Amino acid sequence: MEAAPNLQPGGIVIALAGNPNSGKTSIFNNLTGARQHVGNWPGVTVEKKEGRLIYDGISHQVVDLPGTYSMGAFSEDEIIARNYILKEKPDVIINVVDASNIERNLYLTVQLLEMGANVVVALNMMDEAESRHISIDVARLSEILGIPVIPTVATRKQGMKELITGALNAARNPGQQPLKITYQREVEEEVAALETVIASHAGLMRDYPLRWLAVKLLEEDERFLEEVRRYPGTADLLARREKVSAGCGN
Amino acid sequence: MRELTGEEPEILLADQRYGFIGGLVKETVKRRTGVEQRLSLTDKIDRIVTNRYLGLPIFLFSMWAVFQFTFKLGDPMVGWIETFFKWLGEVVGKGLSAIGAPEIINSLIVDGIIGGVGAVLVFIPLIFLLFLAISFLEDSGYMARAAYIMDRFMHALGLHGKSFMPMLIGFGCNVPAILATRTLENKRDRLITILINPLMSCTARLPVYVLFAGAFFGARQGLVVFSIYLLGIVLAIIMGKVFQTFLFKGEAAPFVMELPPYRMPTLRGTLIHMWERGSAFLRKAGTIIFSVVILIWLLSVLPWGVEPGSKESLIGHLGAIFAPVFAPAGFGTWEAAAALIFGLLAKEVVVSTLGVIYGVGEEAESLIPIIQQHWTPLSAYAFMAMCLIYIPCAATIGAIKRETNSWKWTAFAIGYSLILGWLVAVIIYQGGRLLGLG
Repeated sequence: MEAAPNLQPGGIVIALAGNPNSGKTSIFNNLTGARQHVGNWPGVTVEKKEGRLIYDGISHQVVDLPGTYSMGAFSEDEIIARNYILKEKPDVIINVVDASNIERNLYLTVQLLEMGANVVVALNMMDEAESRHISIDVARLSEILGIPVIPTVATRKQGMKELITGALNAARNPGQQPLKITYQREVEEEVAALETVIASHAGLMRDYPLRWLAVKLLEEDERFLEEVRRYPGTADLLARREKVSAGCGN
Repeated sequence: MRELTGEEPEILLADQRYGFIGGLVKETVKRRTGVEQRLSLTDKIDRIVTNRYLGLPIFLFSMWAVFQFTFKLGDPMVGWIETFFKWLGEVVGKGLSAIGAPEIINSLIVDGIIGGVGAVLVFIPLIFLLFLAISFLEDSGYMARAAYIMDRFMHALGLHGKSFMPMLIGFGCNVPAILATRTLENKRDRLITILINPLMSCTARLPVYVLFAGAFFGARQGLVVFSIYLLGIVLAIIMGKVFQTFLFKGEAAPFVMELPPYRMPTLRGTLIHMWERGSAFLRKAGTIIFSVVILIWLLSVLPWGVEPGSKESLIGHLGAIFAPVFAPAGFGTWEAAAALIFGLLAKEVVVSTLGVIYGVGEEAESLIPIIQQHWTPLSAYAFMAMCLIYIPCAATIGAIKRETNSWKWTAFAIGYSLILGWLVAVIIYQGGRLLGLG
């Protein structure tokens, strides 16, 4: 049985998210050292790693989410990571991004931001990116995404202090706006329509970010629809969704 | 919307996210493409190690190296630990007698706890060294290539390439093998690999084969032992197919094999990975084995006053109860049944149980004439097959429970292997008799 996270005053919960092979595990090891605990996520065979980060005398909890490429429902890992972020609401998510494969890695970042999560990007493997002649304008990237971006080389422990302070600052001063990707007009119209219906469901409004939920419903994510079905009185919403995704013409 | 855009909404949304990212990357990332589009070091290494012809030999060589490393370095350590426990048993035994502790306490601590738990703890150096080597290969990025190379072969079995490693490790010990299934992301592949893994004959079962093959098959004993290993592999393939067909229909998920760039593993990372896995074995398998040891010891000394491990002890009665079940397989004696029950602790215990019951030491030589009286070559072969297949040992059961996180699957693994083992043993014995081999 897992011990309940008994956080000290000032202690926060940090979740690590990232693609497989982004160096997430190295960062986790650097942050927690030997203070690790390996278990399983409730009810499934996916391993759950937790650890403690002690910084400035305060102990923080670090949770290593399964490595995923996206936040869909493609695999058990993705569902676990997504549910953890939505339900447990960690104070901050460190999103480990492989700088040498930045394009593919940013897909997860975008999805995390759409979920309204409090994200700090660890732009990892900067050395590898450099050796492949890739140079990244970190300040500009941070500006566009609207979140802190901290360059790191986890294998050499570079940037760890900056990452920790960045994460702690972000956790203590939340309130960044979720990234809003403006979809094409047709999509936006449907999103707006669904949002109005969702707004009338207190349960859904409490548990999910509004716009994210509308987008998710459009994506026809089966596992997720099932979750929504469990809320009472969502039949109208699901019917509306059916109509929307089938096309207004028929 | 589908009509308006002619696309699935899901794809549409993903496209637009990628569009955003594309713009973002254009804005912030500069790639200096050198004059000559040089192959990165990773590509160069991959050209050799994933080469059609060189890939397999290189892979086999690295596996050979891993096992050499583990066993060359680990064997002496196993010897030290064995010596230590023997010494500990003697010292504690003498100490207990000296302070006038009852014989029964002495027996519990020396024969039960120190003997039983020690028998498992001796494997620790091997497990840690194996995990050290594997963590190193994994962290370097080579393991992904090994899986890639074996992918085609494993696909023929309907499994993922990454299932190969756990199966190979299974020949050493099923416990680390089952822990190693963690590299499999897909739940279906992972469960199937865990379920069929105990069919890979681990080193603990070898003493049983050596004893029986030596007693009955003389010059052909090597071939006979090899055939038992082969039987395990063939059954694993068949059961893998069966489980896929009947238990995991339609749960297969597409998978992209990720080939990460090579990296020099850090000492710290490798050690942490080794410790993570090794200590899990220590804690979980250790606690389970500890309780089973005490249980079996109790069964062998109760009711108080009987000769430990005799027919009058509970284990003797238990053996007598189950003996008729094994009669169709040709070994329906209470001794054989008791040995199989004891063997649940660890398969090599089958040999030591027979030794205790027949009143000889653990040396196989002296057991041989007695074994020859109680078995025929045919029933011996059926018994070997039974030892291969029936119920995984306690440590493996512990690992299965831990890794599947489900008592249901653990019970299934126990149940199917018991039934399969019995069926195969009966088929061998009855089939052999029909062919006039009995």
